[in-house]
Amino acid sequence: MFDKMRTILSKVDADYSDVRYEIKKETVISFNGKELTKIGSNSTDGYVLRVLKNGGLSSVVFTKENDSEKAVNTAMENAQLIAKNIEKPIEFAQIEVVRDTFIPELKEDPRKISMAEKLELVQKYNDIPLSYEKIATTNVDYEDVIREKYFISTEGAEIREDLITTRLLGEIISKDGNLVQNVRVRAGGSNGFSTIRDQESNFEERTAIALNLLKAKPVEAGVYNYILNPDMAGVFTHEAFGHFSEADIIETLPAMRKKMKIGNKLGNDVLNIIDNALLPDQLGFYKYDDEGVKVRSKQLMKNGILTGRLHSRRTAAEFKEPVSGHCVAEDYRYSPIVRMGNIFIEPGKNNFEELLSMLGDGLYILDAKGGQTAGENFTFGAQYGYVIKNGKLGEMIRDINISGNLYKTLKDIVAVGDDFVLSKAGACGKGQLNIRSCHGGSHILVNNIVMGGL
Amino acid sequence: MEKLLEMAKKVCDKAEVYSIDYTYNPVTFEDAKLHDIESKFQSGISLRIMKNGKLGFAYTKNLINREEILQNVLDSIKGEVEANYDFPLTKELPKLNTYDPSVENLSTTKMVEECARVCDILRSKTDGEISITSSTYIEDIRIINSKGTDVSQKGTFYGIYGGVIYPGSASAIWRIFISKKFEKLPDDIVNEMIELYTLSSNVVETKGGKMKVMFMPNSMHTLNWRIFSGTSSKSIYEKISPVADKIGEKIFNEKITIYDDSLNDKYPGARAFDDEGVRCKPLTIIENGILKSIYYDLNYATKLNAESTGHGYKVLQWGGEQITLKPIPALAHMTIKPGKKSFSELVKSIDRGIIIEGALGAHSGNIPNGDYSVGVNPGLYVENGEIIGRVKDAMIAGNIYETLKHVIDIGDTLHPSFIGLGDYNALVPAILFDNLSVAAKS
Repeated sequence: MFDKMRTILSKVDADYSDVRYEIKKETVISFNGKELTKIGSNSTDGYVLRVLKNGGLSSVVFTKENDSEKAVNTAMENAQLIAKNIEKPIEFAQIEVVRDTFIPELKEDPRKISMAEKLELVQKYNDIPLSYEKIATTNVDYEDVIREKYFISTEGAEIREDLITTRLLGEIISKDGNLVQNVRVRAGGSNGFSTIRDQESNFEERTAIALNLLKAKPVEAGVYNYILNPDMAGVFTHEAFGHFSEADIIETLPAMRKKMKIGNKLGNDVLNIIDNALLPDQLGFYKYDDEGVKVRSKQLMKNGILTGRLHSRRTAAEFKEPVSGHCVAEDYRYSPIVRMGNIFIEPGKNNFEELLSMLGDGLYILDAKGGQTAGENFTFGAQYGYVIKNGKLGEMIRDINISGNLYKTLKDIVAVGDDFVLSKAGACGKGQLNIRSCHGGSHILVNNIVMGGL
Repeated sequence: MEKLLEMAKKVCDKAEVYSIDYTYNPVTFEDAKLHDIESKFQSGISLRIMKNGKLGFAYTKNLINREEILQNVLDSIKGEVEANYDFPLTKELPKLNTYDPSVENLSTTKMVEECARVCDILRSKTDGEISITSSTYIEDIRIINSKGTDVSQKGTFYGIYGGVIYPGSASAIWRIFISKKFEKLPDDIVNEMIELYTLSSNVVETKGGKMKVMFMPNSMHTLNWRIFSGTSSKSIYEKISPVADKIGEKIFNEKITIYDDSLNDKYPGARAFDDEGVRCKPLTIIENGILKSIYYDLNYATKLNAESTGHGYKVLQWGGEQITLKPIPALAHMTIKPGKKSFSELVKSIDRGIIIEGALGAHSGNIPNGDYSVGVNPGLYVENGEIIGRVKDAMIAGNIYETLKHVIDIGDTLHPSFIGLGDYNALVPAILFDNLSVAAKS
């Protein structure tokens, strides 16, 4: 494969170019209620070519090998067009050039498990919620996605890495009269099929939540203080804060860039945030990004002070900051962009009981259900929650959606728990999907956020 | 393609080959400066077969190895996914005008010039940060099946998506303009962006409570998604639609009429056949508030003992490569009938309220039930008929089956509303509602 790719690069007349070829193998099993709706394995492939010429950078994504000449010409023309129309030439930060093959070690390779065995397991999980009368339906999807990546650059990089993701994504829908409620169930990871075994109790617990939600009361709109469980805290960290640690987002937002200057105190003293894609066996794990840069663990915030951010080679040069190895693509259909790996708030010192008594009166909300952010504003749903009175768990609540401001909320996080949980399946959309987007952390205590109610 | 269909026919009862080739060329300006130019040339094929009432599905990008995709589809059939429908025999399609050579011939240089032109105007008239993406998309779809159907269509799409961002946030006044051919972004759209941005530059506070709320086309996907869910044959089959047994009943205010017209080739994306090769025709979903029809693909039509309405599309809520998706019922060309009030007349009729220019979190919450709870991004605040600024940290919540009963008036202009909607091309006006719940920090 590398020879074929070298032939493509040999046709490029530029200061720098790289090409990535990927074969993506996906196996999918889907249930909708009792019904199996999708099953199969498929293989797709494609090329991504990037060209840096005279200070202009452009990429072309193509399927067919015989389109490579057209791709090379288009990329060179577009790079030159950019160069002609910008004041400041685009540069790439210097990196250590890598020649390596990295195939991760797996606890059970999903490619070696038969389709029949996968189907039997998924069906067994799907049957758990469906055995309850008030469960109206389910959507349970099993996927294994194998990305076989080949990367070469004119600097001499030559990298072969596999990313193998196994995931189980479920939705359990309960119904009583006209009231419909839903709860998600997730399992999986980057280190093999074993991550989706033994999920019976997970499905049982989530089913119980879906059923209990039928008796929960709708939360009242207003402004509250909260405990967020690790999944909610992780979504806040990822959505509200993490995206603005991605240098390509703030690069072109001058006012935001000023606010996010390294050394600025943005958060409460208790806040320490890190992105560590090197954590073994976690969902966001990888060794080299899609520019051939070795990924590094990055402290983003220390005691509330901004200490670093995530970069591509382009943004690292633009910000004059160290490269971090966070430029990642969804697959062969995309040129890479800056992405988080495993992002989390580092554990603090308070146990859950202490957080409850610190909160006194408020809400305990759990497990994210969609989140979105635009600049300083964010909105997240939670799957369920509880009213807290005098530091004690009270009745269950539903229809939870909170909305807030990043900067205010970073200051309003007043305590961090001592536990630590990271997510098992991801889906971050930033123009392209990242199924290995991983976040989490500890329980956190946060004041003064708006609840939308119904 | 033909060869693959022939090979497939030998091993099954029914077969269908779907192929797509597309080219996508976006030019992006950020902070009013050229930032990126990209190009995509993509192809792919998917194969659907049936044997003894069981379904097989497979796809590939490079049709290098026909045996491999055939083997994958046969392995897939072993899973025993039930399928009792027939592929259609489609002949004599309505003639649509979906292709314009000006898009295919448009030079990247010209796109760069157009973006620069719009950036210059917006930058000279506002203090916002300017983001503009201009793109061309050319798509070639062909479907052949064992019944003898052989339909194909080539379409062109030109679009420009621009925003004036309030500095220090990523919140903005966004507008989208789409066309089958290359056209300059019309002045009235540029002027509206400047005017709304300027009027909403100041941040104001509101107490919240019940008030008038106007959903703009940019935030209407909040309601659209829930309408899609409630009136889909898939939701009816799964018994999770709150309006399953309400055909013929009034479910919304009588001002609301919603139809789907994939044959409307005034806009890009018109289709004479859906992604299953079924002939398209207009369908009224809601007429004067009364639920008239739900929409079907082949699969759910058979399950519910009905006919496909030509709404089987290979789409996902968040996009996704068409070839990898099986068709599902999708209201891909939804239009909400416009009313008679201009935008300024609608604003004048608001004593106190919020105009939702953008919604955050439209995809979360209990969509099947019709519930929504969205952050305003931004929300323009109106008092005594005038926009006096924008609110932050506010949320609007409700249930569409309540909200759409409280329509005050509907705007007179249709705008595309497909932000985050994959291949859906909804055309919607602004709608002003009474008495919606607003939560805010004051």
